[in-house]
Amino acid sequence: MGALLAGIFLGWSLGANDASNVFGSAVASRMLRFWTAAVLASFFVLIGALLQGQAGIETLKDLTRLNLEQAAICSVAAALTVTMMTILALPVSTSQAVVGGILGIGLLNRQINLEGLGKVFVCWFGTPIGGLVIAVFLYKLLAGVYNGLGMNLFQSDGVLRVALILAGIYAAYALGANNVANVTAVFVGANQLTPFAALLVGGLSIALGILTYSRRVMETVGRRLVRLDPFSAFVVVLAEAITVHIYAFVGVPVSTSQAVVGAVLGVGIVKGIETVRKPTLLNILVGWFFTPFVAILIAVLLYVGIHLKYVPQ
Amino acid sequence: MLGFFFKKQRQIESLIYSYLDNLRMTQTRFSEALGLCLDHNTDGTFTFLTEQTHKFESKADDIREEIITLMYGKALLPESRGDIMRLLEEVDVIPRVFERVLYMIKMQKLSIPDFIVPDIEKLVSVSLASFDLMLKQIENLLKRRQKIRALVATIDYNESECDHIQRRIITRVFDSDLDPFLKIQLKELISCIGEISDQADRVSKRINIISMKRRV
Repeated sequence: MGALLAGIFLGWSLGANDASNVFGSAVASRMLRFWTAAVLASFFVLIGALLQGQAGIETLKDLTRLNLEQAAICSVAAALTVTMMTILALPVSTSQAVVGGILGIGLLNRQINLEGLGKVFVCWFGTPIGGLVIAVFLYKLLAGVYNGLGMNLFQSDGVLRVALILAGIYAAYALGANNVANVTAVFVGANQLTPFAALLVGGLSIALGILTYSRRVMETVGRRLVRLDPFSAFVVVLAEAITVHIYAFVGVPVSTSQAVVGAVLGVGIVKGIETVRKPTLLNILVGWFFTPFVAILIAVLLYVGIHLKYVPQ
Repeated sequence: MLGFFFKKQRQIESLIYSYLDNLRMTQTRFSEALGLCLDHNTDGTFTFLTEQTHKFESKADDIREEIITLMYGKALLPESRGDIMRLLEEVDVIPRVFERVLYMIKMQKLSIPDFIVPDIEKLVSVSLASFDLMLKQIENLLKRRQKIRALVATIDYNESECDHIQRRIITRVFDSDLDPFLKIQLKELISCIGEISDQADRVSKRINIISMKRRV
């Protein structure tokens, strides 16, 4: 139970942080009350986890063989990495941190599933690129439809508000389906949880994070998206949801934040404006590159630290 | 949940229409009062119509406040809230100009010399035509977002015409043998009336921007 708490804590922090990528724009713009957004996001995260989270769990649990202690170390290493990177104000992906933790233990065990790892790496590269490409495609397609409707001010306002809420619900579903594996896959690998129990516990812990601690992040981080016009914000959330959902089918947990960054860049390309400043982009790249290495290091240090023994001379 | 959002939206929409109706009432009273003044008939009816103009202008303020309060009660997207609020602020300048013109005439006991009456009638007529078109443009923005650019061009043309009329009247006033103090008073009055078409032009351009922003 104590070991599982580390996973639940990781799920809680994931929910608290990633909820902003789902309903941040709606809450920050006061279009949706926080509690309405939090309840919707929590509910659909759980549904997504239960209905489509299995594939991600299969991928992560097969990356290496773990016992209960090692599973707990993976979770703690991932949680510490996320905390450290956040303190350093570097954008961080929980998915990368978890995989980093698993790899750390895998290196010590000298047993890593290279095929699975290759799939994960490809998906990491594919996340921001996927977000970008989907956003470009969606923007052009939906802008044509939106302009063609010739709506008046109130109609376009109403349509965009509903669209943003529906996109948020879909993004919450995709978040649950994709990211639940980060939380409890290691415990399935260590034979401590059945896949269904892992999905339920993981989904519930992410939902708990959204309900208890996502308000501030939603209200502050969400404003970054609100700076975009409402139509672009809708395209970004929808592109992020589709990207993350695709990887849920593939069975690789990816970062919603990276999908959002890709989508924001995509919208910028279509509109011919700079939506992400170069220093911010550099920061994201640094975070993207270092997160798995930091997690590997922490997992190894934790493991070695726990197994240090005093040998009297 | 969604029904609740749209309920507020419908309330705002209906309040904006009521605000526009109120502006039309203000305009009618202003036009009637100014007509009496140009006929040198500034008796009780003129005073009554001036007070009516003031009453409708105050009511327009109240409706505007109600719209703003409702909008900040989490209705509409922030961008739309800002656009509507700034639009109403700018529109609201015009009824205040109506009121100012009438009080200027009433308090300064201004009598308009006959030789400039036809020009002033023309200035008022073109200015109020611009105001009407501006109201129509707002309705188009709220109803179907069509013909907005065409109206911008007409209002802009009217504004230029008003500027010409204004300059002509002021020149004629200062070429005349009127008392210099009266000349200054008339110049102020004419500039104030000219402000109607200037402001209608500003509002019209803002409406065009609001409409263009909604194309993605």
